[in-house]
Amino acid sequence: MSALHFDTLVWHWPIAIYLFLAGASAGAMFFAVLLKHFVLKHNAYQSGFVQAACIVAPVAVMAGLGILVLDLTKPLDFWKILVFYNPKSVMSMGVLILLIYQVFMFMWIGLLFRKPIDAWCESRFPIVLKFTAWLSRFEATITGLLVIFSLALGAYTGFLLSALPGYPMLKNPVLPLLFLASGLSSGAASSLLGGVLLNANPNAKEVHFIHKVEIPLILLEIVLIFTFFMGLVLSGGQSKFAAFNAIGYGFWGWVFWIGIVGLGLSGPLAMNLFMTATSKRKWAYVAGTACLSLIGVLLLRNFILYTGQMTVV
Amino acid sequence: MENSKRRFLKGTCALLAGASGATLLATVSASNEAKAEPSVKYALIHDETKCIGCKACEVACRETNQVPEGVARLKIEQTGPYGEYPNQFYHFSRKSCQHCEDAPCVNVCPTGAAFIDKETGIVSVDAWKCVGCQYCIAACPYKIRFINPVTHAADKCDFCRETNLAQGKQPACVAACPTKALVFGNLKDPSSQVVQVLKANPTQRAKVDLGTRPKLFRIVAKSGEVAI
Repeated sequence: MSALHFDTLVWHWPIAIYLFLAGASAGAMFFAVLLKHFVLKHNAYQSGFVQAACIVAPVAVMAGLGILVLDLTKPLDFWKILVFYNPKSVMSMGVLILLIYQVFMFMWIGLLFRKPIDAWCESRFPIVLKFTAWLSRFEATITGLLVIFSLALGAYTGFLLSALPGYPMLKNPVLPLLFLASGLSSGAASSLLGGVLLNANPNAKEVHFIHKVEIPLILLEIVLIFTFFMGLVLSGGQSKFAAFNAIGYGFWGWVFWIGIVGLGLSGPLAMNLFMTATSKRKWAYVAGTACLSLIGVLLLRNFILYTGQMTVV
Repeated sequence: MENSKRRFLKGTCALLAGASGATLLATVSASNEAKAEPSVKYALIHDETKCIGCKACEVACRETNQVPEGVARLKIEQTGPYGEYPNQFYHFSRKSCQHCEDAPCVNVCPTGAAFIDKETGIVSVDAWKCVGCQYCIAACPYKIRFINPVTHAADKCDFCRETNLAQGKQPACVAACPTKALVFGNLKDPSSQVVQVLKANPTQRAKVDLGTRPKLFRIVAKSGEVAI
């Protein structure tokens, strides 16, 4: 039995990448809405960080779905998931959430860029102006539902795994919350990284706002990870065995302690704490912190997916 | 802005109320359906005291259901030897679908390709509806599902529902067993052999604490390993 190939392994790394991308998309949209409403107001579309979030969110969610489809044993039959629904299935409900989320995501992005869209379409396609005007009447509804569906999508990535009764480590009520929190922080990190790559000012007020939110978010993640494993240990039996099997010696133990706890959580937390929300930021600092966060979240998805399937009841 | 926020909240509340109402209605109609239950519910007993590990059941299953090489709907797992020579013995146990009453594979399947047949209680797979997401394989606590390399759909034991049972015969494994270690029949029929054997013998089922209510019973050999 090796760390990446073992008998009880059913879902391998493409699923972890999909979970990561779906969470990052949901988080990017969530933070884009926050930035628009609490920091930037009307000219939000001019911010490189909001622009980055609006690129990351659709690209990530569609790339994730692409990976998911290619990972099926019958990729050409994927449309059956869209036609047949099982209300008891977490995956079925997740597909619904993903579809509705994407509708509101595109509507919200359209409304965000309404000014440039209207200006471009004014002489070319005047009909579009009527449509954006009609859409803007529902802006509050679209924003509210986008927030709800992005949070639902972030939690769904965890529910997908916690609905598996055969794996004691995955059948864990904390998992959806942990994945939601880490998904949100990956969305924030990808917006920051994308923003500075688009040459946005690394010392902008958007960066200060996100970093201010990031400290409590990382602390929450640490509490959730602790609760996750404490719950397993206190459940005893195979759950306890699964917990120690995951975070003990071995490949995945290193990934957990060095990669997730060290680089992914302590690193960004320390950088955020040392450089308080008020001090001046440089390009390398913002990009570096964001990269650490993203690596941490990607490792967490793989770690949970693989170690979760190592122990069966 | 304030007004539209209020309208949004009102709308959301109305939507939630409507959704929960619809769910309640669905539950009520589902419980009405449950009253008219069919009179057949199949179960299987593996009597490990009679099993000699000849694997005739495995061969018969493969032939009858056209199970390709490399995968299996049914496996006889051998442990041992136990005891001192010359009184050595092996223990044989059956690994196949347990036909859970509350089947995790059926609950997680996004397309409904995994389903419990209402007429017989048999957990089955609709190979056409299956897209191969492998959620059912991950969800099964008994780890008995697999992807059929020919159809690319999830596959497993279905008590020969589409083969022998459809022709009014016993499942292939039951018919092939030379020592009559397998007993198959209708749990709802008090005079059936399954019910008689279940009443006369102490039986065990695997992982009952998960609440899946499996319908594969085993009569444990007295001379097996005692493990805690």
